[in-house]
Amino acid sequence: MTALPFEADVRVDVASIEKHLAELWRSSKEVSDDALTRAALWNVVAHTSDSESHTKASEALGKASGSVPQRTIIVRANPSAPPEISSWISANCHLVGGGKQVCSEEISIVAGGDRVHRVPPLVNALLIPDMPVAVWWLGDLPNEYEDYVLTLLEPADRLIVDSVYFDSPADLMLISNVAEKTTTMPADLNWVRLEEWRQATASIFDPPHMRGRLEAIRSLRVAAGTSGSDYFGEVVESLLYAAWISAQVGHQVDAQGKVEGALGPIDYRIERRKQEREVGGITFVEIAFDDGSCASISRDRERGILVTNVDGNLSFPETVTRAVACEIDKLIVRQLKRAQSDPILLKVLPLASRLAKRVAQ
Amino acid sequence: MSSVIAPTQAPAANPLREGLEQERVPDASCLVIFGASGDLTGRKLLPALYSLAHDGLLPAGQTIIGFARPDYTDDAFRLAMREACDKYARTRPVDDAIWENFAKGLFYVQGDFSEPGGYSRLNQKLQECDRTRGTGGRRIYYLAVPPQFFPVISELLGKEKMVTDPEHGGPFTRVIIEKPFGHDLQSARELNRVAVSTFRERQVFRIDHYLGKETVQNLLVLRFANGIFEPFWNRQYIDHVQICVAESIGVEKRGNYFDNAGITRDIIQNHMMQLLSLIAMEPPVAFEADPVRDEKVKVVRALREFPRGAEEENAVRGQYADGSVLGEKAIAYRKEPNVNPESKTETFAAMKVFVDNWRWADVPFYLRSGKRLPKRVTDISIHFRPAPYPMWRKLRGVSTTPNVLAIRIQPDEGISLKFDSKVPGPSVRTAPVTMEFRYATSFGAEPPEAYERLLLETMLGDSTLFARRDEVETAWAWLDPLLNAWAADPRPPDFYPAGTWGPEAADRLIERDGRKWRRP
Repeated sequence: MTALPFEADVRVDVASIEKHLAELWRSSKEVSDDALTRAALWNVVAHTSDSESHTKASEALGKASGSVPQRTIIVRANPSAPPEISSWISANCHLVGGGKQVCSEEISIVAGGDRVHRVPPLVNALLIPDMPVAVWWLGDLPNEYEDYVLTLLEPADRLIVDSVYFDSPADLMLISNVAEKTTTMPADLNWVRLEEWRQATASIFDPPHMRGRLEAIRSLRVAAGTSGSDYFGEVVESLLYAAWISAQVGHQVDAQGKVEGALGPIDYRIERRKQEREVGGITFVEIAFDDGSCASISRDRERGILVTNVDGNLSFPETVTRAVACEIDKLIVRQLKRAQSDPILLKVLPLASRLAKRVAQ
Repeated sequence: MSSVIAPTQAPAANPLREGLEQERVPDASCLVIFGASGDLTGRKLLPALYSLAHDGLLPAGQTIIGFARPDYTDDAFRLAMREACDKYARTRPVDDAIWENFAKGLFYVQGDFSEPGGYSRLNQKLQECDRTRGTGGRRIYYLAVPPQFFPVISELLGKEKMVTDPEHGGPFTRVIIEKPFGHDLQSARELNRVAVSTFRERQVFRIDHYLGKETVQNLLVLRFANGIFEPFWNRQYIDHVQICVAESIGVEKRGNYFDNAGITRDIIQNHMMQLLSLIAMEPPVAFEADPVRDEKVKVVRALREFPRGAEEENAVRGQYADGSVLGEKAIAYRKEPNVNPESKTETFAAMKVFVDNWRWADVPFYLRSGKRLPKRVTDISIHFRPAPYPMWRKLRGVSTTPNVLAIRIQPDEGISLKFDSKVPGPSVRTAPVTMEFRYATSFGAEPPEAYERLLLETMLGDSTLFARRDEVETAWAWLDPLLNAWAADPRPPDFYPAGTWGPEAADRLIERDGRKWRRP
């Protein structure tokens, strides 16, 4: 990002945010004519409840706006705070070559006490028309029955969450229900983190002779890196992975988390593996077949890439499994660059919730 | 080779690929580059292949074999290609870990294009790769060679039984041919005849790198994915269309080739025909190879013939003289190395053409292309008819201008729409303003190089973005009379100073219709 005079936060009256934004752009044109371009492909509303997550959202979306120009609205709503509401505006500018900069607007709204309820209509009024809306929810998940949440999500095309912070399988179902009961589609940053494992797994079955072995899966073992606690969020990525395999291969998962394939029961096992690094991520996958052979995926720590092992043949399919950047801003960018939310995630969420019963303690 | 490959049936799609960013993954194959020691390989092909690997778009096991006359070892070839990628790849600097894996699939076989022994060695290498890298007999031959070598390479590949076809139970073989696709209709037909004596038409991928450009592909999206444009995309609303392909450079090291070709063969016959077809075509029934190409070729077939005996009525040719471009002195074309000092070759051409069909009857398409013009730019502008009634005409300060939709193909890719707006104030005054969309602004990331897309499409077997035989031959059939008339004319082309927009005759060509060239 490049520092410009108007990039600093400017406190403005809540009722005249748009007017102040218009003035800001008019004055910027006077200073630098056409070197600055105002752009937006998305409205991104980040919902936070404390200053730490507010800062995290501001930093991540400031960086993300370099790849996906957007109107960013960061809400910090805390009913326990004093009853007041205030707002700031600023711009995130990024060089795009030829000395030109593309700038995205950022609006911060901080509300406390009963003023919190004024936030959703205010956010609605600040959305750029005809641009899609993503609500990124940081912290505890919303209660789906609260008016506050429903009003905030009403214009949202996408609800972005990070399931690594989920407390229980019920959170998976809650997100799944949002898709069922509203027009807002869920998106999960943890699902994006999983992409490199999905890519690596898909690459195992790319060779034509391996395609048929998908039907001969006898067991699936997924190891989740955990801190040693039994915090649910740390195994969610592994659960999503297992659920994805079952959804795509056509395995049936019953309410108890038991899995059945075309040739009989299949042993799905999700294990916790205590480790210092990559807590919350998958550390190892093993897929065994009817004939006793197996394929596995693990991470080459030195190179940061995944390694597949099929029938003893090690392979570094790094062309398809390069470590996907996992910084939050990059995960957000990957979500926003998809025109539609991933329908496979919708299939996977309820299955992951059921498979939670398969997590070994 | 085909004898060792068992007949195959296409396996079901990999369900684990569904929804992944990389949904389509080609099966690993051996890509053989004939002419691997040439400029194209180092500047474009290997950098494009490396960038594909970098972006995770190549299958594990993908193998690249360079074939050329110089005596390289595998390692020497890898080293040269690493240097080329360091210099030209879109994704620079080259990542050591990715290169290490990529280079494992990079080999070199020394051979002369007309010597059968080289093909035997190549075939041995290919079979070895099938065993060690899982390429399954799948072959792509990239002919990065002058067209005169095409017949002999094609013939020897056939003789050595290095061409198989899934229709006969074998793995695929595809061949990529670089332009020029002939010098005129007769030579194009001969090239195509040679091609189909060894390959089926669907195995032949004629590469026109313009079709690999994101902005060119976006022409179809702009027209057919948006409801608002198509109703206006016809003679009722469009006054005329301009297509400009301008280069600021001269002939550089290509004097020999260019002096025998000229701008019409080098740019208009292929790149501009593609742009014209995409702008003027009817909606295809599907975004698939044949439906898209069927519609494109209909446009070329509908091009009005140049009037017999007066071919030059609607066409102007020019040649650059001394001048300056972008502040640098530029020498005349005739003084360029490897150019005949009395050359009559055109370095500039402008023409007015008509697509004689229901949609475009009497709408002129003005084409302009040249070397040593003020800047490098390719763009298409759609000039709409003026508003039907000039209700402001009695007011001073009001002069309405027709709307223009401008599509910038390169550089600074984007689309803009020009329209009139009221100037703020108590009286009615108007000024033209533009609504702008810029790829870089909206999408940030740099689009992939055209060769990346086209190489990947070849591996996937999708020929939508490649020229078909009838497209090529029809374009030649339309241009041949003009080229023959120019060749028979003893006069030189009109000269224009380097760094200007061509000869005055080009301005007259459009101005006599009451229009003028848009400044791109």
